[in-house]
Amino acid sequence: MTLALDLAGIALAAAGVAFLLLAALGVWRLPDTLCRLHALTKADTAGLALVAAGTTCLLPSAGGALSLVLCVVLVAISGATIGHLIGRAHQE
Amino acid sequence: MSTAFDILVALGGLACAGIALVAGNRIGSVAAFVIMGFFVALAWVRLGAPDVALAEAAIGAGLTGALLLRSANRLGPVREAGVPIAVHGIAACLSLALAGGIVWAFATGTAEAVYPSLVAARVGESGVSNPVTAVLLNFRAWDTLLEVAVLVVALLLVSGLAPVRIAPAPPSELVLPFLRIVVPVAVLLAGHLLWKGATAPGGAFQAAALLTGGGLALALCGLLGAGRRTGHVLVLAGLGGLALFLAAALGAAILTGGLLDYPAGSAKVWIIAIESALTLSIAAMLVSLFLGPSEGVRDDR
Repeated sequence: MTLALDLAGIALAAAGVAFLLLAALGVWRLPDTLCRLHALTKADTAGLALVAAGTTCLLPSAGGALSLVLCVVLVAISGATIGHLIGRAHQE
Repeated sequence: MSTAFDILVALGGLACAGIALVAGNRIGSVAAFVIMGFFVALAWVRLGAPDVALAEAAIGAGLTGALLLRSANRLGPVREAGVPIAVHGIAACLSLALAGGIVWAFATGTAEAVYPSLVAARVGESGVSNPVTAVLLNFRAWDTLLEVAVLVVALLLVSGLAPVRIAPAPPSELVLPFLRIVVPVAVLLAGHLLWKGATAPGGAFQAAALLTGGGLALALCGLLGAGRRTGHVLVLAGLGGLALFLAAALGAAILTGGLLDYPAGSAKVWIIAIESALTLSIAAMLVSLFLGPSEGVRDDR
């Protein structure tokens, strides 16, 4: 059981890191602001959520999961809002 | 495994510092500086100093980054004249000498650190169980008092310069729901950090940084009254923390005969009262530093 949890945690975290790397690659290589924003806001949030899910699997007790959930929720809503604001500022 | 992580953190911090120095534009430099702050915060975590890590991430990287970005916007474009090569050379020599001195001191020093054992022996008398808070608000409260005084001096200088206030953009439809979640959470977490500071990493400065984050979010959306009165209230709140800290110092001196020597048994009450006042006042000062203390009277651009 513990081994399965550990493996799942590592797999989830690795998938999250892959998403974050993709987001970085997108910001680096994509041609304009809106495209970069598209890559950054989605892949970034998904990557962090996956890393947090993986970390939750690796935690010795479930108590720390609450702070991780709070982190993910806060990053998700601020990422979405800031993406919206940057996009709007770009259009004006 | 963790050594590899430590090396990556150290190299990442150095790389960001290098990028901040050579980046051609101010925004890029500030971005690199902020990321360096997060590497430094990670380094503090690895060194077992979560209090410093929290302060570094919140104040060193977050708020300083915001202040630098605001200043970068206000300053004109970078002038190409540049710094003479001799100045670069002297700065490099001084930095290398300092770094060498530190390495030499750590490599050859054999003496035990005196402070941790002294603090551990007396932490029971301080009223709190977090040794960092015990040092900051009891054993060396004098230092903290002077730090707050330094912030007040900065605030007075900014008041004197009277920079033009930020003119916030009209909030878009997504911003209000965002603020409705983020600002209460910031206030809640600030209270949590303040209270936890007695027993675990946290305390007035970290809590104040969180409150400031909430305050800045409100102010940037134009929801924190931009008028002259708000500026005055913020400056008064900023001065109030220092005034209360000084009053506590004098009160303790009258009660026990020692400056900031709290009466035995009630030290925790004194510490929590001072920290609560400090949290509000530091947050007010930081928001003031960012916004400019009152409505701009002159445009110096």
